[in-house]
Amino acid sequence: MIAAHPVIEVTAFGLASGATFGLLALGLVLIYRTTGAMNFSHWAIGLLAVIAYLFLANEGVPVMLAMLLALAISPIAGIAAYRFVFKKVPRANHVVTILITIGVAQLFASLAAMVLGFKTFTRLPPWLPQGRVSFAGARLNTTDVVTIAVAVGVAVGFLAWFRFTRTGRALRAVAQNREAAMLAGIDDVRSATIAWGIGSALAALALLLVLPHVAGKQGGLITTFDITPFGTLLIPAFGAALVGGLVNLPMALAGGFAFGLVRELLVLAPKPWSDMRAVVAALLILVLLVLRTERFFVTAQEREALEA
Amino acid sequence: MTQTAVDLAPPLPLPGIRRRLTSAELAGLAGLGALALLPLPFGSFGFFVGQFALIYAILGLSVVVVTGYAGLVSLMTYSFAGIGAMVTGIAMASWGWPFWLALPLAALATVPVSIIVGVTAVRLKGLYLAIATLTLADALGETFFKWSRATGGQSGWLVSRPKPFVSDASYYILLLVVAMALVWMVTGLRSSRIGRAMLAVRSNEREAQALGINVYKTKLIAFLISGMLGGIGGGFLALLLKQVTRSAFQSPLVEATSILLVTVVVVGGIDRALGAFLGAVALVVQQQVFQGARFFFAYFGIYSAGLLIVFLLYRPGGLMQVARLQWRLIRARPRVGITVAVSIIAINVGVAWLFVRLG
Amino acid sequence: MTEPLLEVQDLSVRFGGITALDHVSLNVAPGEIVGLLGPNGAGKTTLFNVISGFQKPNAGRVVLSGTDILHLLPYERVAAGLGRTFQHVKLFANLTVRENLLVAQHRHLSSGSLSAMLRLPAWRRDEELALARAERMLDMIDLRAWEASYPPGLSYGTTRFLELASVLSLEPLVLLLDEPASGIQQKEVEALGPLLRRIRDETGCAIMLIEHDMGLLLGLSERIYALDFGRVIAEGPPDEITQHPQVLSSYLGRTRRAHASA
Repeated sequence: MIAAHPVIEVTAFGLASGATFGLLALGLVLIYRTTGAMNFSHWAIGLLAVIAYLFLANEGVPVMLAMLLALAISPIAGIAAYRFVFKKVPRANHVVTILITIGVAQLFASLAAMVLGFKTFTRLPPWLPQGRVSFAGARLNTTDVVTIAVAVGVAVGFLAWFRFTRTGRALRAVAQNREAAMLAGIDDVRSATIAWGIGSALAALALLLVLPHVAGKQGGLITTFDITPFGTLLIPAFGAALVGGLVNLPMALAGGFAFGLVRELLVLAPKPWSDMRAVVAALLILVLLVLRTERFFVTAQEREALEA
Repeated sequence: MTQTAVDLAPPLPLPGIRRRLTSAELAGLAGLGALALLPLPFGSFGFFVGQFALIYAILGLSVVVVTGYAGLVSLMTYSFAGIGAMVTGIAMASWGWPFWLALPLAALATVPVSIIVGVTAVRLKGLYLAIATLTLADALGETFFKWSRATGGQSGWLVSRPKPFVSDASYYILLLVVAMALVWMVTGLRSSRIGRAMLAVRSNEREAQALGINVYKTKLIAFLISGMLGGIGGGFLALLLKQVTRSAFQSPLVEATSILLVTVVVVGGIDRALGAFLGAVALVVQQQVFQGARFFFAYFGIYSAGLLIVFLLYRPGGLMQVARLQWRLIRARPRVGITVAVSIIAINVGVAWLFVRLG
Repeated sequence: MTEPLLEVQDLSVRFGGITALDHVSLNVAPGEIVGLLGPNGAGKTTLFNVISGFQKPNAGRVVLSGTDILHLLPYERVAAGLGRTFQHVKLFANLTVRENLLVAQHRHLSSGSLSAMLRLPAWRRDEELALARAERMLDMIDLRAWEASYPPGLSYGTTRFLELASVLSLEPLVLLLDEPASGIQQKEVEALGPLLRRIRDETGCAIMLIEHDMGLLLGLSERIYALDFGRVIAEGPPDEITQHPQVLSSYLGRTRRAHASA
């Protein structure tokens, strides 16, 4: 009986962290397909929401309100980044696109560091319900369960919006074939703005969900050095996106959960492997890259249209 | 029966490739000479800044080759530097090797990693390569840079400079000579069969293939050279710090929040070796100037990120491009040109003064 | 009867429910100028893509100088003697015309990165050779006036000539030209025919030509293959092809019918 519990607890933990990767991956794929930019600054845009939340929560704003206000910050930053920077880079110039997203990452991360430098936050008030809940004989954190529920709920809502609403379908058209969509009268700037806005919001939610896991370890004191762990979230997020071939959204979400599970279940593995999270992630990602997962989801012709 | 095509026309006399130095180049060399003497009035701090700048210049050359020439975005420069530093540390502190043996080993130690990248990601789109390098950098951070036998545990490796270069001034001169030699080499690479192949691959991979260029081998070579340059920079970094600890190299996100890209882009554009050299010098010096300001790390991060974005968007050729365009403007419409030039300089000086005052 | 230099045997390409090439067979003799005729979507560029290695066929063989080259990558086929141009010429936009031509000399050079970085004699020899060849090409294709310009600043016709100069630098045994006259002015089209013939006469290379400009195609080709819907519908000398009923109805005939209903 004792053996069963760690597996279930770890699974819950894994799914919860996987929720974050999945949400990040959804945002990444959405932005990539709609605007042609792989957003290496995705984590930094989400980070701004985390900083905003910390700021507001420490100022005494009620946590749920602080959370909602913080969620609004990222879309603003993301849309500003698109309008002032990414829109000006010609799509075909892949090198400059990636370098600029790195520049934007640096910009936002430094902004976050600056805010952290001015104010030392001593409290990290959690916005998710605390406590424990019983499930199948194991004791799980309520936070984990709620995280999974929130992530799945938001993701499903987003996927439904993407599939069934007019705006969502317009975005899909742009994602599949920008030229054809423009000929059909769809405004690709507006679509891109919406994509960046939603993608950034998803990133914000993802980072806010994972916040207690990443930041709470220093005994409540958040310092500038805590920024970098947020950046490393980008890697499993890429992996999740690759599971969907950088095009399929539901697979990206599933990939997120998969990566989260593998990461946490690794704890139960024999000794050298249990500390090798990044290596296992790297191996998985390299395998996905070599498999060229994109070709399972996109035909060669569609890919040509995307490159244009 | 194969038949080679007949020559198109009788051969012309071959043009020489040695040229006399132009006056602009002589002036440039004089400028570099003056630059080299810059640290003198600032004592050992000045030399430290100079050495640091020169190491950044070497790392910048690594970026010039892999990204500037071959168009591959690699987020592994610091990882290569870390490998170089660690291997230098192990070789010198643990095995007692002299520096001039440890350094080549440091460069060679990067080769296995370059090959892993070459084998997995070189046949893929540039974006996938970037992701692969980020992932590998992270994996290295977790394994190699946590492995005690490689990193010397918490306290790291203690290395000391070889006899003739113990003093700050002499180590500075050594670095200066090495950095400039590497700039010369990387510049030479550009005007060569393999260098032009890299530029071609960056510009239009399909056309490069149609002209007979083995694009995969070209990309791999770019990675190998870039990795070795990073390793060399790391080796010199080890000697600079005299104590090599792992903390500096563990996180690949250091790359994403670093000034390395800016130094490479801002002066000469991402594909000019000399530009990378001057940019490293300019920015590291500025970084030290900003030291005085409160929370300089954040300010400087914002400032350098802003520079990177602005230059990539509007002047990818860097300050050299700005100067060229400005010169053209001055010759075409002198009054307008000079006004613009003077106001740009005035604004820059003003902003710098403001920053120092606010700090 | 000389053995064919380039032979395509029973080539088929299918993707996404479309049959781009349907059991296509053709051949080119050494030094021959062969034309490819057909409406848009007939599979001509696909054929070039397969021959040059940028696309894989579902079935069939491509034989050059008696060797099967299907397993070779595009750059390896250059070494085997193939050269091709593209329908929408792009070249190297951030290199000057001269540098473009220097890149094209790649296969004639051999020095490595080490000799380049250390500026060893091998590098020096290579550079002199590359420069000489590029200079020769600049004069031969009359691009001297633009040697320091960048492709985006050139007229479309000039970039086509640059592309021609680049592919000629490869000294190919067979040259695949994909619509070399498209998008260029009439004056330059008229100069193209004699130039291509002169190239064939002086170098002995064979030329396979996709072209919609009938004057150029019919005037230059010694033999023509007509394609439609991925199939070879006719083959023969120009005057036969222009009379061939199937060719007329599939390609030339569409214009006639359009006129008739006007």
